[in-house]
Amino acid sequence: MSHGRGLVIGVATALGALAVAAWFVTRETQAPVSQRGGALTVASALGGGGDGGTEGFARAFTPRDFVFPEDHGPHPAFRTEWWYWTGNLETADGRAFGYQFTLFRNALAPEAAPRESAWGTRDVYLGHFTVTDVSAGRFHVAERFSRASLGLAGANTRPFRVWLEGWGAQSTGEAMWPVRLHAETDEASLELTLEPGKPPVLEGDRGLSQKSAEPGNASYYYSMTRMPSRGTVQVEGKRYAVTGESWMDREWSTSALGPNQVGWDWFSLQLSDGSELMFYQLRDRNGASDPFSSGTWVPPASAADSAPVHLSRDDVALAVSKTWKSPRGGEYPARWNLRVAKLGLELTVTPKVADQELPVSVRYWEGSVDLEGSREGRPVAGRGYVELTGYADLAAHARTGTTTRGMPEAK
Amino acid sequence: MRRLLVHSSLRHLGRHPWLTALSLLGIALGVAVVVSIDLASGSALRAFERSTDAVAGRATHQLVGGTSGLSEDVYRDLRLRPGAPVSAPVVEGYVQAAVGDLRTLTVLGVDPFAEGPFRDYARGEAVGDVGQLLTRPGTVLLSERAARALGVSAGGELPVRVEGRQVVLRVAALLAPADEDTARALEALVLTDISTAQEVLGKEGRLTRVDLRLPGGEAEAKRLEATLPQGVELLRAAARAGTVEQMTRAFRTNLTALSLLALVVGMFLIYNTMTFSVVQRRGMLGRLRAVGITRGELFALVLGEALVLGVIGTVAGVLLGILLGRGLVGLVTQTLNDLYFVVSVRRLALEPLTLAKGLTLGLGATLLAALVPAWEAARSAPVTTLRRSTLEEGSRSRAPRLALLGLGVLGLGVVLLAWSTQALLPAYAGLFAVLLGAALLVPWLTERLSSLATGPLGGAFGLLGRMAARGVRTSLSRTAVALAALMVAVATTVGVGLMVSSFRGTVVSWLETSLQADVFISPPSLVARRGDATLAPGLAERLRATPGVAGSSTIRVVKARANDIPTDLLVVDFSRTGARPYRFKEGDAATVWRELDASPDTLIVSEPFGFHRNVGVGDTVRLATDEGPHDFRIVGVYFDYGSDVGTMLMPRATYERWYDDRGVSGVALYAAPGQDVDALVTAARERVGDTQALMVRPNRSLRQASLDVFDRTFTITQVLRLLAIGVAFVGVLSALMSLQMERARELAVMRATGLTPGQLWGLVSLQTGLLGLLAGLFSLPLGVGLAYILVHVINRRSFGWTLRLVVTPETLVQAMLLALVASALAGLYPAWRMARANPALALREE
Repeated sequence: MSHGRGLVIGVATALGALAVAAWFVTRETQAPVSQRGGALTVASALGGGGDGGTEGFARAFTPRDFVFPEDHGPHPAFRTEWWYWTGNLETADGRAFGYQFTLFRNALAPEAAPRESAWGTRDVYLGHFTVTDVSAGRFHVAERFSRASLGLAGANTRPFRVWLEGWGAQSTGEAMWPVRLHAETDEASLELTLEPGKPPVLEGDRGLSQKSAEPGNASYYYSMTRMPSRGTVQVEGKRYAVTGESWMDREWSTSALGPNQVGWDWFSLQLSDGSELMFYQLRDRNGASDPFSSGTWVPPASAADSAPVHLSRDDVALAVSKTWKSPRGGEYPARWNLRVAKLGLELTVTPKVADQELPVSVRYWEGSVDLEGSREGRPVAGRGYVELTGYADLAAHARTGTTTRGMPEAK
Repeated sequence: MRRLLVHSSLRHLGRHPWLTALSLLGIALGVAVVVSIDLASGSALRAFERSTDAVAGRATHQLVGGTSGLSEDVYRDLRLRPGAPVSAPVVEGYVQAAVGDLRTLTVLGVDPFAEGPFRDYARGEAVGDVGQLLTRPGTVLLSERAARALGVSAGGELPVRVEGRQVVLRVAALLAPADEDTARALEALVLTDISTAQEVLGKEGRLTRVDLRLPGGEAEAKRLEATLPQGVELLRAAARAGTVEQMTRAFRTNLTALSLLALVVGMFLIYNTMTFSVVQRRGMLGRLRAVGITRGELFALVLGEALVLGVIGTVAGVLLGILLGRGLVGLVTQTLNDLYFVVSVRRLALEPLTLAKGLTLGLGATLLAALVPAWEAARSAPVTTLRRSTLEEGSRSRAPRLALLGLGVLGLGVVLLAWSTQALLPAYAGLFAVLLGAALLVPWLTERLSSLATGPLGGAFGLLGRMAARGVRTSLSRTAVALAALMVAVATTVGVGLMVSSFRGTVVSWLETSLQADVFISPPSLVARRGDATLAPGLAERLRATPGVAGSSTIRVVKARANDIPTDLLVVDFSRTGARPYRFKEGDAATVWRELDASPDTLIVSEPFGFHRNVGVGDTVRLATDEGPHDFRIVGVYFDYGSDVGTMLMPRATYERWYDDRGVSGVALYAAPGQDVDALVTAARERVGDTQALMVRPNRSLRQASLDVFDRTFTITQVLRLLAIGVAFVGVLSALMSLQMERARELAVMRATGLTPGQLWGLVSLQTGLLGLLAGLFSLPLGVGLAYILVHVINRRSFGWTLRLVVTPETLVQAMLLALVASALAGLYPAWRMARANPALALREE
């Protein structure tokens, strides 16, 4: 039996040795553990090269002369700018829609490197498009990105055109106006012709909109506050002929927000008496209103003095009377009482649909609202758009800074 | 009672540790070879699939163009149209790292803004400044693992070589892939913006493809297809994945079949061991039968023993196979790289299926081999089981019947081989039938031949010689098996050896005719047999104008889709030379060249192409050209041993008529009479200068390089051959050893009756020598037969090549030597033991 034992021991040893060797040659090198952040996401790609500094870009230090229609076109010397349209529309039988159509340009570097490839670029375009189907209570959202090369996206001054792939706005003829907007998604599409309506309104100090204390932390900003609009809205396969009024915000800057500003509440309101009110309240980390919050009241066209009235933070009293919890997390204000004593204006602002949150790369709320109240004792109604940022995800904005109107300048 | 049986079994195995160990080794080696080949080629394929998957992402369809991809305008127009499908542009190519382990890297150029719906790895976490991808030329991302292997870090530089140019990339950030699969896919991937990819790969303005997601399925695809510009085609993404599998199927099947040969030899070993153990214990088994053990129980007993051996041997074999596979994966990868595509395999993919297959094969083979001995153990009546002579008489009387059966099986094999089908399976079935048939002939032949050998051996060595020859005959049940095992093993090595040397001979003479120019210039290419890199623009003209050049031709190698299968297209510019270094299998050379020049709708195809697609002269091939799909008429079929999947060839003028690509992949120069070729090489090198690192090679060195590649692709075959020899050697050793050990008592009697240890030694050596000689003799015709089958049936059906079978005497001599040396070694130990053993002890009954 000793042979037998020898055999068993030998075989067992051989098997053991083989097993160890086989394990050795096939063992896995451990996948590296990493919890560091920021990948090939759109947000990180938008971050751009370098440190995101302002070097090489133009800054907004002093008021400038606005020249139209040239200033409707792009301002490539600045890091970022946007064309921002919102509006309330309805069909002949009163079915109401709201829309938001925004194109952002964001420069990743002050200069484009000379490249062989046509894909090389420094400008990236971002687009947001929403349609609020008020009677159905539905909200359709889409987001797009593209680099400004190869004709995929870009902006021209003459003839005026800004586009992001199939979305865009352009003059319909030789003249600047009217401008046609076009955007579409699988669910909704918009085809709208805009007339200028009232002349451009320069916001802030002659168009210089200071956003925080540091000089240069400002944008150039003008608005077209009441643009007669006509066209079609298509939702869920049905096309509706609509008319209504739009609001266009144009803003360009290189840096704006200060380190403590985490978000804002932005109001663009068209009152039934023919006047408009723009007001933004910047919020700091504690939720308090920032001193650089400001606004503008545009009198009715028929008024004796049609000069816009600048409003500072202290001119406007804003109180939240209701909140809404987003199913995606975060809690938003959902009704406001807005009082401007010096105008004798009292308004209740109510969202037409509660959930008008955009679950896009940076989450925010932007929606159609109804107005109700009085000015100088006479009842007024109206409608408008409100944008709410910095509510969605406190952890997220602590990391990436603030959003949307400022989204491309995040960091 | 059962416990008693089990105990006796184990005791028996334990009493013959060396034999048991040898048969375990035999099983283990057989299984190991099969498992290792399976693992190695499987791993290479998996690695390729993984990288393809990572690169293909979740696309349902793809837009592809002609040989140079498609214009980026196609993508722009697609994005701008209303209702545009979800799409992403891709520029893809290969570079070789100039640092670290010099691995080949796939450059994947994407648009980060369009990537989201397609590829996941990019969503993980990256460390560093990703934004630079767009703004800084030459900026790339690497996976952490790849970066470590290459020795670069975030922010560092990564020099790479592209078609003879050196390009320095900047690593902006490292990707930490979310899971192991992604991590592996990323090991050989450089992720970058599409702009950098275009610039690095020299593909400005072009896209490799556009990935699409069409949720509407085929209906949506049809609608989209109708609106595509000319020369742009819509393919299903799934259709792409299968081509690699298909392309390498013949190659892999052949490797697997060769590895199975090793297992077959291993099976003979098991058969031998089990037969031996039955014969050894015939007395014991007879007694067991006498005390009432049933036939069924004896049958089960022998099978049970085989199972124990099988389990241990197979497990050892699988483990050994993993070890071997780790070694072979490099060889298999090298061969795949030389022949088919660029793949870098970093590790073995241990597929449970492969391991299970190995286990099943090992156990199945063991049990199958043990069936006959088990049946023999159970069959015999209690009394006759006791007598060895009965068994041998039975063996001898069965030998002619077995031989007849063998002839029948041989006939069946021949019929299977002659069956005119393209399928490989009947060919392999035929091959194994021939092996089996030959093995069945062995007992009868052995009996006849050893009878014949009695006279001459007696003459030469006297009584001992006669005893040796008769011994072979009288223990036929054992010697025949050992001989058969040895024959099959040696014949395998002869067959494979002859096949490779015939192949090589054919390639050498093909190279003679096809390499007629004096100097060849081309950029280094990543797939050795496919020189599809591009010369710098203008360089080809400059080279062709080198003084001392009498004539020149250029070649362009591109992948074109022929009937939707990507295939190499060779484009040759013959305008400045009269040389036409091609030989035709079908079509008359003069007519072929005239037709090619006359019509822009003609091309010629290589022999494997014609074979695989089942086309010949007069048939048409539909190519996806930049002008849209177009039918080309085949006017000739040429011999080509460069690609086993086949190639097509058209004149430059035809190509430029249908394709936008104007690249040149190689230039061939013909020296003017009296011009020194070495001087021409130097002159050409000077003309290239620093523009691009090109290989400027005279005829002779290109021929040598081609043969080196050829030899490299057959390394794996040679290794398999060596492994089969190893298994055969173990088989012979164990067969002959068991044979001699079993004769211990017989030899002891001889010792007791006066045979000296030296005489005993002589007797044993003579006998094993005789066996070796017989095995060698048997294996020669069988080996040549195998070679014939491999060259004319298997190779033809796998690759479609016409090869000339050349029987080289060296291979045959080698085989004889192998048989003799193995048998001589096998005789040593038993002879030494018997000579030393105390006859009295050996005589004692068990």
